[in-house]
Amino acid sequence: MVQAGSMGLPFISVRGLLGSDILKHRPDLRVIENPFRPNEEVVIAQPIRPDVSVFHALKADRWGNAITPGFRDDLMMARATKWVIVTAEEISDQELTSQDAVNETFLPSIDVDGVIHLPFGAHPCSCGSRYSIDDGHLKEYLEASMEERAFRLYLKKYVDSVVSHEEYLKQVGISAPAEKGESG
Amino acid sequence: MTGQTASYSLEEMMAVVISREVRDFETVGVGALSPIPAAGSILAKQLHAPHVQIIILESGEKEYYPFPGGSSELHFLAQRGDLDLFFLSGIQIDRKGNINLHVIGDYQAPKMRLPGAYGSAMLYYVAHRVILFRTEHTLRTFVDKVDFITASGISPASVCREGGPTLVVTPKAILSWDRTAGEWMLEAVHPDSSIEEVKENTGFGLKISPSFKMTPLPTDHELVTLRTVVREKLIRIYPAFAKERIRSG
Repeated sequence: MVQAGSMGLPFISVRGLLGSDILKHRPDLRVIENPFRPNEEVVIAQPIRPDVSVFHALKADRWGNAITPGFRDDLMMARATKWVIVTAEEISDQELTSQDAVNETFLPSIDVDGVIHLPFGAHPCSCGSRYSIDDGHLKEYLEASMEERAFRLYLKKYVDSVVSHEEYLKQVGISAPAEKGESG
Repeated sequence: MTGQTASYSLEEMMAVVISREVRDFETVGVGALSPIPAAGSILAKQLHAPHVQIIILESGEKEYYPFPGGSSELHFLAQRGDLDLFFLSGIQIDRKGNINLHVIGDYQAPKMRLPGAYGSAMLYYVAHRVILFRTEHTLRTFVDKVDFITASGISPASVCREGGPTLVVTPKAILSWDRTAGEWMLEAVHPDSSIEEVKENTGFGLKISPSFKMTPLPTDHELVTLRTVVREKLIRIYPAFAKERIRSG
């Protein structure tokens, strides 16, 4: 579990799950007797410690502070991860604080290792109120993913043949990158 | 019944049925992709449960998300025993109350792979009451045994379990959970269906509940409230659903 990873624990107990077939396929979940309540079974989970995780932010500053859209468990996930990369719609020259994250999630620089300016970096998904899901593109992806050959063509068009993020955006029909300084 | 309320969509009917099950002062949780229970819960708050606290995951609305953090907030609240009612669905639901949100067919070579459990394998155990909902009542949904148990309906005494299944709401009927026997009963049949039709479309035997009744038709008041106040609130969270499935009042 990511929760255990974020807390640096050797394992964590989890409610429920007993009787679920999930336990048959997940070696990181085990059933033990609750040491504090004899005859009661409880599931324990190994910590998850990803090597790398990437968060897409509305805004980040040069020190690594970042704001991601909505209320999320990003901090827990970032803390579980060894190397945290933030991509951001906008880079702020001023230091961001938790005060700047109104109804949004704040990632403090101590939990972030690298920042990249990447407008429309969440495409074809949404980024808060800045842009919504690209339905047309997602449909294209879904249709392509149903068949091996079509999916290879999709990868060729949008992944293999584009050498930069700018080219990718051009390929999907986004011309103007987000303007800097626009508030989210 | 006026002309406008003489007909209703499947989703409107299910939302009304669900609203009648929500009790005042409850803390009610709704998953991110559950517009029908969301509509039902908001309708209940408008009609008979003014003090209900509704929590809708990913809603982005202060009124329906009273937390400063992510979805773990609802999970932890539920684990503390503070979630009175939660709604779950399943591509399959079986005789023993097991639900399947994982695969159709063999796990290693599935005919269909679904998104998976998310929090359901925990919430099914800890929410005091769970109402299952499914937008079709068919033999492929109500099976004798699910292909994959995502969360089990029954647990042995060695499992700490506060809650579990209570009802299933479908377009045809309401099934209720007999805790002692550990099986479903036919609790109510909706106006357009019949006991025979429900039994023919359920892949296991159904006994008739002692409190069996025909589902009362949605009233003018229920439908008008759903199509005005509730629709307005729902549009902010599930715009496509609210516009396409709930008629404008």
